[in-house]
Amino acid sequence: MVKRNIKTSLSEDDGEVLNENGKRLAEEANKENKKRVRTKNLYRQPTANELNRLQETENLFNSNLFRLQVDEILEEVKLTEKTIKRFTEWYNSFKVYLMSIVEDDLEFDLSEKKITKFLKVKLPILEQLSQTKAMFKFHKFKDIDIVGSYAVGSTINANLMVDVQITVPAETYTKNDSINYRYHKKRAAYLAYIASHLQKSDLIDELHYCLFNMSLTKPVLIVKPKGKLSNTLLVRLNLACDDEAYKLHRFSPKRNNLRETWLLQSEKQECSAVGPQTPYYNCSVLSDLTAKINNDFIATTLSNSQNLKQAIILLKIWLKQRKLCVSGHIINMLVCCLVQIKRINNIMSSYQIVRNIWIYLKSSEWDTKGLSLSKSKDAPPMDEFLESFPVVFLDKTGYYNICWQMCKGTYNALRRESELAVEMLDNPKLNSFLQLFMVPVSNLTQFDHIIRFKNIQSLKSSVLERVSKENKLNYGLDELPLVVNSIYSLLSKGLTDRVDLILQLGEADFSWPVKKTLEKAKEGYDEKVSFGLVLNPANAIKIVDKGPQANLPEAEEFRLFWGDKSELRRFADGSHIEACVWDGDTFAQRRSISTQIVDYLMELKYSVQPRDIFHICNQLDSLTARKMAAAEQGEEVSVKVLRVFDELRRDMRALTQLPLEISAVYGTSSVFSYSNPLPPLPSIPDPRAWRKASTCLIKTQKDDKRIFLPSYTEANRAMIELSYSGKWPGDIEAFRCLKAAFHLQISDRIKSQYSLASQAYPTHIDVNKNGLSFRLEIFHPKEVTLLRREVVDGVVKFKESEESVKLQRDTMLLAILRGALHGLHQKHPAFGPTACLFKRWLSSHLLSPTHFPSTLAELVTASVFLQPEPLTPPTQPTVGLFRVLQLLLNTDWATQMIVLDFNGDMTREEITELEQKFSDRSENGPQMCIVTSYDGELPSVWSSSAPSRQVVLRAQALAKATLSYIEKALMEDMSDNILAAFIPSYSGYDVLIHLHANLVPHFNERIDSRPKLNASDDVMGDVIPVLEFNPVEKYLEELQGAYEDFALFFHDSFGGDVIAVLWKPHVKDYRDFQIASANALKPVKVKGETKYEVNIEAIIEDFKLIGDGLVKEVVVNM
Amino acid sequence: MKSAHNKTQYRALELHFIKDSPHPHVIYFKEHLVREHTADKPSGRTLFVVNIPPYVDEQCMIKAFRKAGDIQSVQFSIKPNSTISQNSEIFLKEKCTPNFKLCYLVFKTVIGLDNALKLTELQPINCDSHLTLGLKKWINEYNSTILKPSELKDSIERFMEEYDKKTKQEMEKEKQMQEEDDEGWVTVTKRGNIQSFPRTEKVENKIMAKEEKSKKKKELKNFYTFQIRESKMKHIVSLRQKFEEDKKKIAQLKQSRRFKPF
Repeated sequence: MVKRNIKTSLSEDDGEVLNENGKRLAEEANKENKKRVRTKNLYRQPTANELNRLQETENLFNSNLFRLQVDEILEEVKLTEKTIKRFTEWYNSFKVYLMSIVEDDLEFDLSEKKITKFLKVKLPILEQLSQTKAMFKFHKFKDIDIVGSYAVGSTINANLMVDVQITVPAETYTKNDSINYRYHKKRAAYLAYIASHLQKSDLIDELHYCLFNMSLTKPVLIVKPKGKLSNTLLVRLNLACDDEAYKLHRFSPKRNNLRETWLLQSEKQECSAVGPQTPYYNCSVLSDLTAKINNDFIATTLSNSQNLKQAIILLKIWLKQRKLCVSGHIINMLVCCLVQIKRINNIMSSYQIVRNIWIYLKSSEWDTKGLSLSKSKDAPPMDEFLESFPVVFLDKTGYYNICWQMCKGTYNALRRESELAVEMLDNPKLNSFLQLFMVPVSNLTQFDHIIRFKNIQSLKSSVLERVSKENKLNYGLDELPLVVNSIYSLLSKGLTDRVDLILQLGEADFSWPVKKTLEKAKEGYDEKVSFGLVLNPANAIKIVDKGPQANLPEAEEFRLFWGDKSELRRFADGSHIEACVWDGDTFAQRRSISTQIVDYLMELKYSVQPRDIFHICNQLDSLTARKMAAAEQGEEVSVKVLRVFDELRRDMRALTQLPLEISAVYGTSSVFSYSNPLPPLPSIPDPRAWRKASTCLIKTQKDDKRIFLPSYTEANRAMIELSYSGKWPGDIEAFRCLKAAFHLQISDRIKSQYSLASQAYPTHIDVNKNGLSFRLEIFHPKEVTLLRREVVDGVVKFKESEESVKLQRDTMLLAILRGALHGLHQKHPAFGPTACLFKRWLSSHLLSPTHFPSTLAELVTASVFLQPEPLTPPTQPTVGLFRVLQLLLNTDWATQMIVLDFNGDMTREEITELEQKFSDRSENGPQMCIVTSYDGELPSVWSSSAPSRQVVLRAQALAKATLSYIEKALMEDMSDNILAAFIPSYSGYDVLIHLHANLVPHFNERIDSRPKLNASDDVMGDVIPVLEFNPVEKYLEELQGAYEDFALFFHDSFGGDVIAVLWKPHVKDYRDFQIASANALKPVKVKGETKYEVNIEAIIEDFKLIGDGLVKEVVVNM
Repeated sequence: MKSAHNKTQYRALELHFIKDSPHPHVIYFKEHLVREHTADKPSGRTLFVVNIPPYVDEQCMIKAFRKAGDIQSVQFSIKPNSTISQNSEIFLKEKCTPNFKLCYLVFKTVIGLDNALKLTELQPINCDSHLTLGLKKWINEYNSTILKPSELKDSIERFMEEYDKKTKQEMEKEKQMQEEDDEGWVTVTKRGNIQSFPRTEKVENKIMAKEEKSKKKKELKNFYTFQIRESKMKHIVSLRQKFEEDKKKIAQLKQSRRFKPF
């Protein structure tokens, strides 16, 4: 008790301390001796309050930062005083107006149209119920109340709905109204009566009916208040029922309230008086009956509990960001329940409460054990509920299942997200607050695979034909939930452990004006049925679904479920097992086995044709295929390269008669981490080619005939590490010379020992093995040291120079990073293809590696897999690309950095230090800061030279456009072809240089070109083909070298035959003539004065000259 | 001003690639005048030319100024007062991409320079198309990088021979320094008999660190009450500092409107 008192008193004082601090800081800013005051400030005697606050933060919150962030967000979502005041005023007059409704003695037969004519509004009820006979007379309600989150004080200010509840007097309903939707019809009439009254009010802007939680039988009124208030909130008018109207036990789950004869119009009279149980229908009535009790319970539990309310707000923000369809009411009830069972209390901090709730949810079992708030013994047993509902959470009375409409998928998602949330909180290296509360998820990036059904009506009817009568009766008129639940259980049974989550995707509540009938309003509105799948990376790629042993009785059930697909198979371990085998020859096919299963099962069980099912999962696979190899997937080609490389490595290490042994060979090309969009293919050198030593030359034609270029071959680069020796010379040139000597010797040995074609160069060795070419280079750290060496006053100092950084980056760091990325691909097989897609995307929008380094592209992709929070790593490359684009778009690169910790060996302190350095960095540092755990002394080395700020902004703009295009194409238009997202726009550039297509490398790999058959696979290379001769790259190098002061050059490095040129801003201004900047200037006479400007015409002329033979045409855009 | 124009003002003339190229670059030139002339840029005979297009080579320059007189040498440079060094000690020659450059033209005679300064037009630089540009140039470049092993071996051996010679000379020089000079001083070098340590940053730092350490060893910790008090204070200060830092972070986040969840 004492402790608590201290705390509360403290928290009051706290505010003052803070204020004082804030003031002082503000004053300080003006003073010059700021620093001195600050230190004095830091060393001042601590007050008891301060000590306590520091301690409290340590004990009750995750971290200081977390606490401050929680405070900020709560402040942000709070309703403003102004709004509250405005609403209170409005509500008071609204209440007065509502209470002025007069009770009349008119009685209507609801099966006739008389009432709608009288009220001048339509009844919000389905056509099927129009014939239902009921006599309705309006009895005036006693009171209206504000309920829900607004009443409790746990609102968030986005899309706020204030729940207003009217309790319908018991005498409105007769004893027998509870069956066959007569209750619902009268309820609708009552609502229409109120709507009709409200129509005449001038307090209201618009009046809509709305189907609450998509339940067809429970409409509510959405009231849009007049004036500015409607910008911030809407009022939802709901009808509850006086709890004296019916005894609750009439609606216990085993009871029948919906007669078969009525619903199915069957004439059969032989069935007994009491039909099958209708728990779903019962709950639709119970929710009204129990509303008052539950709301009172929430109000009493939460009143004066500030921390509980804050926790609820936090939870609501979290749910909203995760797009989970869990209502605020359920959250309120859950919090109350946990208070009741003493898992949480108001003394805990909001952080602790939220954390406890997550921990509870994570291990809760509402689907198998259920949860009940009720303590009374009369209530029906839990088992009855568990039989009839997928998710069970009983209210205070013990009759009403609050989660009656919740699908099991939603509950599983809730559980899974809670688990992820706890993991994030426990991850000390993550500022989990942002990921938990600030980052919204979208369906497109959240799921690996989304299933959408195209023809809802036929789907509905074919599913309804096949479900049992009991089920149909239970769901009554709410057909959609029945369809969704049936498909859900089919999917979960068929996909078993391949998926971590199946979630039906919710749609917004349907609302329509009160003057329209429901049927009319529904025209032009098509319901959507879609499911999102999160695949399990390990199990999703299984080719075989193993069933039970053939001789067991379960085998029959398995056969029945899978139909013809089930085969009896013998496995290597000798067992005979029923199994289903799916097509999965390539990695890409194996990743999309889930589509095969869904297509097969839907056709088998509900005869839904595959063309009526739309899958969003592997749309972009065609982009990772190598078209010159008969569209073989890049992964398979990469594997082949890796296999040859492994052999070569072994060979290299076994080389003899070398002065120093080769201790290791590291691959550095992107193909070694599966992230080269166009992995090298075995090539066949032209037998007629000219040769020098072991290498082919390029033929030059003397006359002006067309030059024939051999097809472009990329070399696979690798680093050779020699065993230790202290005898390397201490002079950089001598060092390089000795390296060349080693190259020569190694090349010699490769030739004689393995008779492989090999050629030595001063800088590297080329080796050809199985038609693949490798470019090996000796690397020794001393070379970097020598480049860094500097002698100042006779003292040797080491300083990074541009050259040393480049060498270190391209050799040592790249080799380590490549290994790490290779490991990442092994762990997350979608990494490689995702990186390929991202690179192609960048390049197709003309941001080739000179503007956006390809290693940086790999790192951005890697961060999607290493730090997927709040999601889990994607298993589909297509989704991976969406996530990469989203990351690119949503990161504020000016203020945020990404730390990639591949093996988790960076400590919290190191990361903090990096962040500190980042925030203190100067303006001209890297524009996209991504630090890996290997960077060491050179943080963010991969983005040090490029991209520029403009390129980052351009890439972000492109990502935004691409994402919105894809979202529209996939989620709305359901079109499979989204390749248009990879077609660049050439508008806006100043000059376009068109190249001869036959000279452009990879021209056949363009997005629009067709796959070709591979000539042959078996090539014995006794000669090295022309390697890495890329005229376009040479041309670009020269252009960039000579004209970088005047223009930027953009090109698609994967087969683009256009170079787009953009003049730099101010290129057309007049300039001063100075020796250092006289380049490309020409004198012009302006008003008799000689001024100088850039000679643009001459530069364009130069473009043609420099690119002689390659350039087809230069087009200047005016 | 008028009289000065031959000496200090640049003359501007169009440099045609072939006869009647539609959009030529304009080059600027004047007499090369500096305080100290070097032997390769003799006074009175050297012409200083700027804004030379990237693809132009020595022959082009000779051709352009053909009418002025015979040219002794052409030196290109990216920046004034420095020539592209042709150092034989460099084993791998850096490949530099063509760029706009300037050049020092040395005429054989003084008259050549005078004539050049009076020229009204330049001759086209590629009338006999000796320049290979574009695809052909790149192909030639590629083909020339491929060396026969014996060629490579020769060049390595040549370089190493020279290097060995050079190091030997240095060694001898150092040995000489080891000897006592006239005043009895001995220079300590790496290879002498006298023990010394290498003069590098690393070693210096090591020595400094050792000093620090030994200083610290002498100190007593948690001995006096004031020390204990101070360490407690330090803890609070660090907590405060962290709090301040976090507050700063929040302010930063707030600035970028990161607290609007929706």
